[in-house]
Amino acid sequence: MKLAYYPGCVSRSTGKEMDLSTRAVCEALGITLEELEDWNCCGATHVSNELVAVGLAARNLAQTDLPVMTPCSICYSNLRTAAQKLEDRKLRATVNQVLAQEYSGAKIRHALDVIQEALSQNPDLVVVPLQGIKVAPYYGCLLTRPRGVDSPEFPTVLEKLLKDLQAEPVDFRLKTFCCGGPIFMPRQKAAEDTTFKILMDAKKAGAEAIVTVCPLCHIMLDAKQKALEIKRGEKIGLPVLYVTQLAGIALGLGPDELGLNMNAVSPIPMVERIYEKMAEQS
Amino acid sequence: MPIGVYVCHCGLNIAGVLDMDELKRYAETLPDVAVARDLPFSCSDIGQEQIQKDVAEFKLDRVVVAACSPRLHEPTFRRAIAKAGLNPYMLEMANIREQCSWVHMDRPAQATQKARDLIRMAVAKAALLRPLERETVPVSQEVLVIGGGVAGIAAALDLADAGMHVYLVERRPTIGGYMALLTDVFPTNDCSICVLAPKMSEVFNHPNITLISYAEILNVEGSVGNFMVQGQKRARYIDEKLCKGCIDQCASVCPVEVPSEYDFGIGKRKAIYVPYPQAVPLVACVDPKACIGCGRCVEACQADAVKLEQEPEEFKFNVGAIIVATGWQPFDATRKEEYGYGRYRDVITSLQLERLLNAAGPTKGEVVRPSSGQIARSIAFLQCVGSRDATVGNIYCSRICCMASLKNAQLVKEKYPDTDITIYYIDLRAGGEGYEEFYVRAQKLGINFVRARVSRIEQEDGDLYLIFEDTNTGEVKRVKHDLAVLSIGLEPDRSADVIGNILGLSRRPDRFFEIAHPKMRPVEAHIDGVFIAGCASGPKEIQTSIAQGSAAAAKAFKLLQKGELELEPTSAFVDRDKCIQCKLCVDICPKKAIAVESPAYVDEAACKGCGSCAASCPVNAIDMRLFSDAQIMAQVRAATEKKDEFPLIVAFLCNWCSYGAADLAGTSRIQYPTNARNIRVMCAGRVDPDFVLEALRRGADGVLIAGCRIGECHYVSGNDQALQRVNVLKEVLGKIGLDPGRVKIIWCAASEGEIFARQLKRFVDELKEMGPIGTELRAGEAQEAT
Repeated sequence: MKLAYYPGCVSRSTGKEMDLSTRAVCEALGITLEELEDWNCCGATHVSNELVAVGLAARNLAQTDLPVMTPCSICYSNLRTAAQKLEDRKLRATVNQVLAQEYSGAKIRHALDVIQEALSQNPDLVVVPLQGIKVAPYYGCLLTRPRGVDSPEFPTVLEKLLKDLQAEPVDFRLKTFCCGGPIFMPRQKAAEDTTFKILMDAKKAGAEAIVTVCPLCHIMLDAKQKALEIKRGEKIGLPVLYVTQLAGIALGLGPDELGLNMNAVSPIPMVERIYEKMAEQS
Repeated sequence: MPIGVYVCHCGLNIAGVLDMDELKRYAETLPDVAVARDLPFSCSDIGQEQIQKDVAEFKLDRVVVAACSPRLHEPTFRRAIAKAGLNPYMLEMANIREQCSWVHMDRPAQATQKARDLIRMAVAKAALLRPLERETVPVSQEVLVIGGGVAGIAAALDLADAGMHVYLVERRPTIGGYMALLTDVFPTNDCSICVLAPKMSEVFNHPNITLISYAEILNVEGSVGNFMVQGQKRARYIDEKLCKGCIDQCASVCPVEVPSEYDFGIGKRKAIYVPYPQAVPLVACVDPKACIGCGRCVEACQADAVKLEQEPEEFKFNVGAIIVATGWQPFDATRKEEYGYGRYRDVITSLQLERLLNAAGPTKGEVVRPSSGQIARSIAFLQCVGSRDATVGNIYCSRICCMASLKNAQLVKEKYPDTDITIYYIDLRAGGEGYEEFYVRAQKLGINFVRARVSRIEQEDGDLYLIFEDTNTGEVKRVKHDLAVLSIGLEPDRSADVIGNILGLSRRPDRFFEIAHPKMRPVEAHIDGVFIAGCASGPKEIQTSIAQGSAAAAKAFKLLQKGELELEPTSAFVDRDKCIQCKLCVDICPKKAIAVESPAYVDEAACKGCGSCAASCPVNAIDMRLFSDAQIMAQVRAATEKKDEFPLIVAFLCNWCSYGAADLAGTSRIQYPTNARNIRVMCAGRVDPDFVLEALRRGADGVLIAGCRIGECHYVSGNDQALQRVNVLKEVLGKIGLDPGRVKIIWCAASEGEIFARQLKRFVDELKEMGPIGTELRAGEAQEAT
């Protein structure tokens, strides 16, 4: 299978491990990624101006006839929103006036759904089963919005993937709760309360790790975890992995290929446990 | 063909503005006019007698009255000439009051000019009038009631008591509908089944009612007065005549247990079952999906009533009218996933609570938490679940849920005074007799009210937590409860789609069946002889459903009681030699009155005379008995015979809305320009493009077509069709070099006289800008020449 790849800006900054693991996992799954040439912002930086936001997304999407895959839920949501808005012929004509390549429709996919589909068709690719590992599936808000993929209130696709990887999804009450990221600037205290609540809820549910599909969620849960521990005087210690990282572990990829050393809370001890368990069993 | 013309003074209402002498003298000069008079009050006895005297003296065979609006006095003058021995349809009126003297009070000269034109148009049309007879057809005096809920029961009993035979067809194995499953009902808190059960048995025992339960209607043909109904009674696998309804013997040996739909899934029933003890008919029923065919019930039944080899039975009968009382279905609460219904056992629906509260229900009236079986000590009611919610496609209010929750909260509180109850609402709607008092009573009982739309329910350690913003305090809260009751809304019953399609009923945007007029005709469908009662046309409480059932019964009774129907001779008819069987008319007819059986054929009982078919026929094979092509064309030609005004507008006004709006502009004395020469048609859809082109060809500067507002057409979609034709016409005009703006289509309700006047004035201004007709052609030629 061949897909166009849209990494999104985070892949060049705080989410290098997301980009790295996405490429590695797709290669392991036999999926060829063709990175869009000269891609630009998905539109997220211009959400207050509909025309500009849609135009930016359209410029990316117009470059290819292949389905466009992104590992970032923010990009995914923005690209899908734009594609839906571009169904309006008038808006499409306006946008096309300034595009070098004409936009004429697009199919957009999230890395999560691509991996889940490939693995469900070919379960033998799971060479390091995540047996007995309890994982909290964290969706955040943008994966399922706008509507049309899974349920916004009670999605289940991550659970399906976790089961394919032979991990154990925990009953995670706050799995669609806002990560706090969007209000971090204006309301830091409220954002931290929210993030803390999510982390504690995952821990209470018995999770050993959290899996995310969005780089903003990842920052909130992973990068800010240490600071939260200090502020609240409570040990959390929950590694937070991108879905591509977790899938990569199950596919037998190494820490360097998946950028596991870039996570703030190191997932390496957990990976070691997985390998130990596998050794015991064999 | 001697014509008499009567120009009415209407005191000073007309004579105060128009020159009556001049109009009378002018009328005398028109072709075929044998006598013309001006009368002080033509509608008075003296006026009518004068007309009758002239009919005899001048051997008049048609009469033109130039006076007020035909919507006011046409029936008066029809009766008057009928008394004189003329056919009542040999009358034409020129509206020189509402649409002339009252709206052009400051321009007597132009107004008189316009009145001359209107009289000339009326005389031209009168010359082409033909005598018409009101035909009568015999009708069946039997009625089909579809649906045996409380509305259908009310309709069936009223008709049967009045002496008409009723077929009551019910889809389920028992009649009674949802009301039979409720516990006590508001606002009096009396036991629902106790008041309904006697009515159900009355239906069963009534000599005038044939009850066909567990059956579907498969087809309906024919029209008002003579519907042929065909259906199928599903196999119960029970001989209804032999079954005693004891149920103990058969059900006790049945090994299969399934959730009971009559307990909304919280109770169980066997594969052989009676829905509930008061079911009518009280006959068992085998659920073929659950039955494993073990045959134990066959052996157990001492009456030998179980017949597992039973086949469905077809039935057929004729009726004169149909009452659709197909009811509603509950909103599927799993669609609001944030509330966890189906995932959290202690989240239940309002209907499940009805069954829990019911002494005959699965818990014998105990309100317990399904997860533990313990009595619930803290109950939350969540209002508007599936109602007033665009995210699930239901923006309407379900109307009964506020009262139902107030009622259930009271019942719980009375039974368990220590239970804490909170109702989470957006707005509390308690409009109705005794409803507000009922609300106050709930407050006094200590029930809590929180103004919030709950955003989600979470389950933690077996307890439910509601998360919401209390909009009175502005706080976001998380509150623990034992049991959450979702007040689910009412949706149209999807299984009624079949009936809707068979009968050709239209639906509102909320998907309920649409009634003929949202205010004035609450139980009539658009299709003659079909009535709608109860929740089929929108959510309603029990009392309103019963009122509607009775209203529909009264309407059906009124329609059929004489045993014959008198048909207005307004219908369409087909020139069988011209018809090419293209079937355009079949698709267009809103009343489904046309069929094409080499060639087309119009069911005159069903036709309402809108004329959209006549306008659409590509070979002019369809014409109307009233408002014929020739008559309208004669009016168009007469209107454009003399062009003494610029711009000259030929205006087609639909009888129901825009003609009414023009009349209202008159009665409100709203002044507007004199340029329009109005032609009344039944519907904007009647306007044949030929009429428009003829008007323009003969020198009219513009043509106005005015219809009911979109969505309010009295023939459902005539105005949409008019709009389509006008759009095509505009393209044609553009192609031949005329300004497409010369044809204008407007919408106004009968209450919008102001809008009619404003639109007409605007059109006059636009035409002045364009110049006389043909200006643009000459300009075009001049351009080409250079």
